[in-house]
Amino acid sequence: MNPMSVIGEVLMVVGALVFATAALGILRFPDAYTRISAIGTAGGLGIVLVVVGALLQHPTVPDLLKVVLIVGLQLATSAIGTIAIARSAVLTRTRMHRPHYDELTSGAASPAEHVPHRAPVPDHTSGRSTPRQEGPWQ
Amino acid sequence: MTGATIGIALIALACLAATFRMLRGPSEADRAIAGDLLLFGIVGLLTLYGVLVASPYTFDLVLVAALVGFLGALSLARALMRGRR
Repeated sequence: MNPMSVIGEVLMVVGALVFATAALGILRFPDAYTRISAIGTAGGLGIVLVVVGALLQHPTVPDLLKVVLIVGLQLATSAIGTIAIARSAVLTRTRMHRPHYDELTSGAASPAEHVPHRAPVPDHTSGRSTPRQEGPWQ
Repeated sequence: MTGATIGIALIALACLAATFRMLRGPSEADRAIAGDLLLFGIVGLLTLYGVLVASPYTFDLVLVAALVGFLGALSLARALMRGRR
């Protein structure tokens, strides 16, 4: 039992513990948005730790190439998938537990069309720029 | 081997929690999130089972599963929006 195999087993158990914390979050958190924040770590970090630990059991060069590809793809895409689901949850008006203020949906008929894509055009006739629209939180 | 067995037990517990939330979840977003976690858990279980049986094709399968998992997460987001973007 060489030390690299021991390190691999420790990494696999740590990755599985990341999954266990995500499961605890999905059971105990009060609303959908906090649950999404619990899932994001499991998707990226948990899979990466488990796969690297599995590689260290019997490391070969072709497996190393595949693991580099898996780690890069997983770190790049898992956050995008999680954020896409969170965006859909916001746009479908999922209920938030005890909201203090809601910047995304305040006062807009549909939050998707309300997001300004560019700065307001300056008013040249009066010589000063138009004030930005201020939300109710200010 | 013991590390892989402990990991399989922990990830199986996570998959059970995700299944519970998918069946129970008060909103549709909760069900979509549970589906996402279940998908990641299946990928982790696949990896650890490949270590346990010493299969030479483990990382090929995990690579394909990671790619399909990304498409699955985007499809869940689209389904939650009823097909709108």
